[in-house]
Amino acid sequence: MSLSTIARRGLFASLLATTTLAASGLAQADATLDKIQQRHKLAVGVVLSGGPFGAIDPATRQPVGFSVDLARDLARQLGVEVDLVAVQPANRVQFLQQGKVDLLIANMEWTAERDKLLGHVPTPFYRVGGAAALADASPIKAWADLKGQPVCTSQGSSYTQALVDLGADIKAFKTSAESLLALRGNNCVAAVHDATLINPLLAKGGEWSGYRALTPELNPAPSVIWTRLGQTDTQQRLDPFVKQWHKSGWLIEREQANHITPASPALVELRAKLQGEGA
Amino acid sequence: MSDALHWLVGQLARLGLDYGFLFDVYASGKLLDGALTTVWLCLCGIVGSLLVGVLLAAAVASKRRWLAWPARAFIEVTRNTPTLVQLYCAFLVLNMLINQSLGSANPMTPFAWVVLVISLHKGAFHAEALRAGIEAVPAVTLEAASSLAFSRRQQLLQVQLPLAVRFALPALVNNLIDLVKMTAVASAIAVNDITYASIMIWTQGNNVVELMILILAFFGLLSFAVNCAGRFLEARLRMPGYGH
Repeated sequence: MSLSTIARRGLFASLLATTTLAASGLAQADATLDKIQQRHKLAVGVVLSGGPFGAIDPATRQPVGFSVDLARDLARQLGVEVDLVAVQPANRVQFLQQGKVDLLIANMEWTAERDKLLGHVPTPFYRVGGAAALADASPIKAWADLKGQPVCTSQGSSYTQALVDLGADIKAFKTSAESLLALRGNNCVAAVHDATLINPLLAKGGEWSGYRALTPELNPAPSVIWTRLGQTDTQQRLDPFVKQWHKSGWLIEREQANHITPASPALVELRAKLQGEGA
Repeated sequence: MSDALHWLVGQLARLGLDYGFLFDVYASGKLLDGALTTVWLCLCGIVGSLLVGVLLAAAVASKRRWLAWPARAFIEVTRNTPTLVQLYCAFLVLNMLINQSLGSANPMTPFAWVVLVISLHKGAFHAEALRAGIEAVPAVTLEAASSLAFSRRQQLLQVQLPLAVRFALPALVNNLIDLVKMTAVASAIAVNDITYASIMIWTQGNNVVELMILILAFFGLLSFAVNCAGRFLEARLRMPGYGH
């Protein structure tokens, strides 16, 4: 083997290694806080697909919603500007891993698989489970009835694994908007998304008046603020803010202000628990 | 076979690429299924688009205005709008309307919508390539055909089209390679093609880079196969005295 071949092979290997490392976020040490301070800007990935958690206000064309309120308050407490980046469920992990955003407040619940890829602020800020929207006339009464049935959801949904385990035939669309349209076009028997998306939609009536929700919630899991893997300083810095949100009742107030119904019992539980801890 | 795969995955792991998911029954089954679906989409799309292309080219070349004008209008509209928009329009709007009128008797599956949209879209491009071929047939050849008492239809089917296909072949193969790549839009409406299968796997794990390299290689191979078939046809249909 000639020297140049060896050199070329080495170069190829290191090129590949750098791309993979950069992509998996292992290359950066705990650099998030430094980066935020240097740029004087906190980049937060939020999902703005409509609904009370994140949407674009048609009047002002500004992002609004629960996640947006949280992102703005974090930036305020850190004393920097906020840079809201719209992400989608299918690409949000890559946005974070590649450093396009510092944090994700993107309707992304804690799961064991995600915990291996990313880090998170220890205290959750919400708890969400899945709900299925079904036609009123649908014979489906329980989650187990979805076995073998076509079920619409979005690519990167938190409920993919749970639906696979149920034996459902998953049809995953780019975003929840297309999934819901596909449900109304009878391409699936149910559309499974966060209960916080489905419930307000069905409560609104109108074009959704012929539909009902399937309860109880599927796999309720805590919503957390995600960081890159190993950014423990950032997590420790942000954790007191989240605890304070609970203790002061600010999260419950934001929930009401954003018209999230039904109100989450998790917020009340977490508030009581954290107030009990005192500190 | 599986030994070779294990060895290959082992070598790639040394480069920092984790292809371990290929041994996972669920993931590998989904990928294989996706690859097969993509191949079917390509085959159905190639046949469908060529049919549409020939029909449109014949209509556009026709002297009857009521045939030529609608065909021209269709080509312009189809060529000038994005495939993804057409697919959303077809699947999310047309499909819903069909459902509302026919209920569960709707025969169109998502797969069928993708084939239909791709066939019509690429058919319009084929028609333009074929038109170039048809117009390149020398007038004296057609005069010779009519002096032999060929009807207009015979002239088209037995003289113009066989020559036009030869002239248009490089452009047609170009269109077909584009068609192979275009099948990735199927993932947008949850048809289980290889792109969709990859998205479903990488949103559950940390293997975007590995899957991206895999599907790039897969589409590269598929396009290369179409390219080779095209070259073979070009050599096979070559007419001594024309070009070369």
